[in-house]
Amino acid sequence: MTTSTLQISIREFCECEGIPQGLVVAVVEHGIARPLSGAEAPEWVFDTASAGWIRKAIRLRRDLEVDWVAVAMVIDLLRQREQLQLENRRLRQRLQRFALEE
Amino acid sequence: MEFKDYYQILGVDPAAEAKDIKAAYRKLARKYHPDVNPEAGAEDKFKEVAEAYEVLKDTNRRAEYDELRKYGGRPGGGFEPPPGWQSSAGADAGHFSGDFSDFFNSIFGGGFESGAGRSRRGFGIRGQDIEIEMPIFLEETLAETSKPINYQIPVYENGQVRQLKKSLKVKIPAGVAEGERIRLKGQGAPGEGDAPAGDLYLHIRLVPHPLFDVEGHNLLVTVPIAPWEAALGARVTVPTLDGRINLTIAPNSQSGQKLRVKGKGLVGKTGRGDLYAVLKVVMPKESGGEARELWQQLADKAAFDPRAEWSRQA
Repeated sequence: MTTSTLQISIREFCECEGIPQGLVVAVVEHGIARPLSGAEAPEWVFDTASAGWIRKAIRLRRDLEVDWVAVAMVIDLLRQREQLQLENRRLRQRLQRFALEE
Repeated sequence: MEFKDYYQILGVDPAAEAKDIKAAYRKLARKYHPDVNPEAGAEDKFKEVAEAYEVLKDTNRRAEYDELRKYGGRPGGGFEPPPGWQSSAGADAGHFSGDFSDFFNSIFGGGFESGAGRSRRGFGIRGQDIEIEMPIFLEETLAETSKPINYQIPVYENGQVRQLKKSLKVKIPAGVAEGERIRLKGQGAPGEGDAPAGDLYLHIRLVPHPLFDVEGHNLLVTVPIAPWEAALGARVTVPTLDGRINLTIAPNSQSGQKLRVKGKGLVGKTGRGDLYAVLKVVMPKESGGEARELWQQLADKAAFDPRAEWSRQA
């Protein structure tokens, strides 16, 4: 059996991505992701969902050559879109149970 | 190998100024970035655009590319770099995270490696992270389960990519939710040299259930009832994710009314959610003979106008 985890430490994350910790600190400072635990940056632990958003934020800033404020806005909107899509899917499924087949 | 017209890819004139190239790239990058555009093909388009920009934004690289363009730049025609060609501009790994085309590598390659999500450590490059979709039935989220998974990882051998099949048994923790990612350390693509392997991410997808709908940690089940059950009240058996329960329907219940069954929802971080039974009054397909007469009697005797609201407004 393989060990699975829903968390990743900042050290491991930076090693995996090949990035300096400062980038992750910037992402957190702009409110794009929040650590699950850890008082100081070197002790931060993220859930894998947050880690995914951090990854996206870093890619977007680099590839679109935009600043953190713009990245934070994009990530907020992407999150909202994801939530709305999920909600939409669920509401459609519920609606079908009340609507009759034509 | 096909010659790539980077100017055409960015939609700019070959004489375009650096600032116009930058603007064209930014516009296309916003449109096709795979983190923003989920459509199929967007990622390939973005890679193409990023590669074009990688060359044209750098004065030296652009000059070399322009020279080659004169030499063999017929789009669609075969392209080989001139004999003895060696780039002095080269490529840096600083900006772009995607893979470059063979065309790019034949011009600017040599000692340059790139790959999404890879990083250097010691000698060699860390293996790629792999992400696969993991469909999970609602029933399976109630307790920790172990599931077998099969997936493929790309392995680079002598410049060729080979798909390696892998099988694993993984523990899925109780209470996983839609969209969550489970990380399996070191189960991604192997690293090069002494570098560590990448990770495997399981992207959790809850399979739509034939009976239950999900709302946060709560579940909804639609309970069809007869009109007389709604009128007189009834005791019905209702399915839950784990077993059945008896539910009392009060007299004069409405269609769409929700009855809460505590603790029969999904497993959450703070305990189990609830199950909501949503009543749906269903008419019999046909009612003939005596049943029809009884309906008629009801229609005559019951002083009920379901559209009273409308007539008041009109």
